Amino acid sequence: MINVLLFAQLKDELGKETISIEGNGMSVAKLKGKMKVEFELEGLETVMTAVNEEFADDDTILSDGDTVAFIPPVSGG
Amino acid sequence: MTERYSRQTLFSPIGERGQLKIQKKHVLLLGAGALGSANAEALTRAGVGKLTIVDRDYVETSNLQRQQMYTEQDVAEKLPKAEAAKRHLLDINHEVDVKAVIMDATAQNLEQMLGDVDLILDATDNFETRMIINDLSQKLRIPWIYGACVGSVGMTMTILPGQTPCLHCLLKTIPIQGMTCDTGGIISPAATMVVAHQTAESLKILVEDWESVRPALVTFDLWRNQYQTVKLTKAKKKDCLSCGEQRTYPFLTMENATKTAVLCGRDTVQVRPPKPLKLQLEKLAKDLNGSGYLVKFNPFLLSCEKDGERIVIFEDGRALIHGTKDMVHARATYQSILG
Repeated sequence: MINVLLFAQLKDELGKETISIEGNGMSVAKLKGKMKVEFELEGLETVMTAVNEEFADDDTILSDGDTVAFIPPVSGG
Repeated sequence: MTERYSRQTLFSPIGERGQLKIQKKHVLLLGAGALGSANAEALTRAGVGKLTIVDRDYVETSNLQRQQMYTEQDVAEKLPKAEAAKRHLLDINHEVDVKAVIMDATAQNLEQMLGDVDLILDATDNFETRMIINDLSQKLRIPWIYGACVGSVGMTMTILPGQTPCLHCLLKTIPIQGMTCDTGGIISPAATMVVAHQTAESLKILVEDWESVRPALVTFDLWRNQYQTVKLTKAKKKDCLSCGEQRTYPFLTMENATKTAVLCGRDTVQVRPPKPLKLQLEKLAKDLNGSGYLVKFNPFLLSCEKDGERIVIFEDGRALIHGTKDMVHARATYQSILG
């Protein structure tokens, strides 16, 4: 299982901060797609992703036990 | 060393040698809103040699809740933010050479200002300008510090050319329809916390303590109680167009800039994004409604109104800002809604 951490407004959209989801061997992009369909999360295409607290791109392959954080970029100032 | 900086020089990573360096450095601060005013005050108190503040806006009542530099008097006088900031900063520390520049920053006018700049501090409110800063930073090899906040969320990252990844490595395209302070609101501690990180990083860079610069992106949410540090050891991309081997600095060209045009015979400015977007008008309507706009929308366009100003936004991101012929104001209004 993959542990997914949702930051900022994504946490509100899902109604909780963490979920556990099947995703061993999936790419980050595929996991985003899966979450979009299953939880109707919007805007995942442009979020930054960290895998085990390390910045990761959409091609990164996930393994069981990984913690994936989705972090929406912030633009205000 | 003067009494003024005694507590800062007692801090051993700075010391008297570091203080002398700080006093010889030139920082360009882009934006004089919440992040800008707090960054400017911190660096002025720290005794930076020269501080150039670039901003296109003037002080309004809705700024006072978080933009710590400004007063009701500034609002009454409708002072440009850069000028108001300069006046307050000189009251705080007259030894600093503060320069106020009232302009809408573009790739062209910014590049001309960076000749002797040691650090660019980001306090802007949109990714388009940040991507321009990012390209100029790489081209001229000047460090910059990304900082942003909205709601209770903040984010910051330090970019050292030739060393760290750049913002373009992290964001392949400019994110669209992110929350802005005009749609998602903002509480002051979110800005303060970003500035605390930015100021610490600024001081490290000004005293040239490169090893201490944080090699990670920091993000937090003060309301939802979330903190995260994202390490960037694998984030640098060899094929990045801004910092990679075949770099082209794409954001320095006009084709990647938001375009504005005054519509002939009408009191309206058209704003067009560099590439057509596909906005979710229903979501945008909800955000704008929540922040006090009177909103109507159909599948093709959204019309919103606040403080006597009417804005029409099409699904492809094109917008009409009614009631103005001022292109800078129109672009600022557009970016305050769409980021």
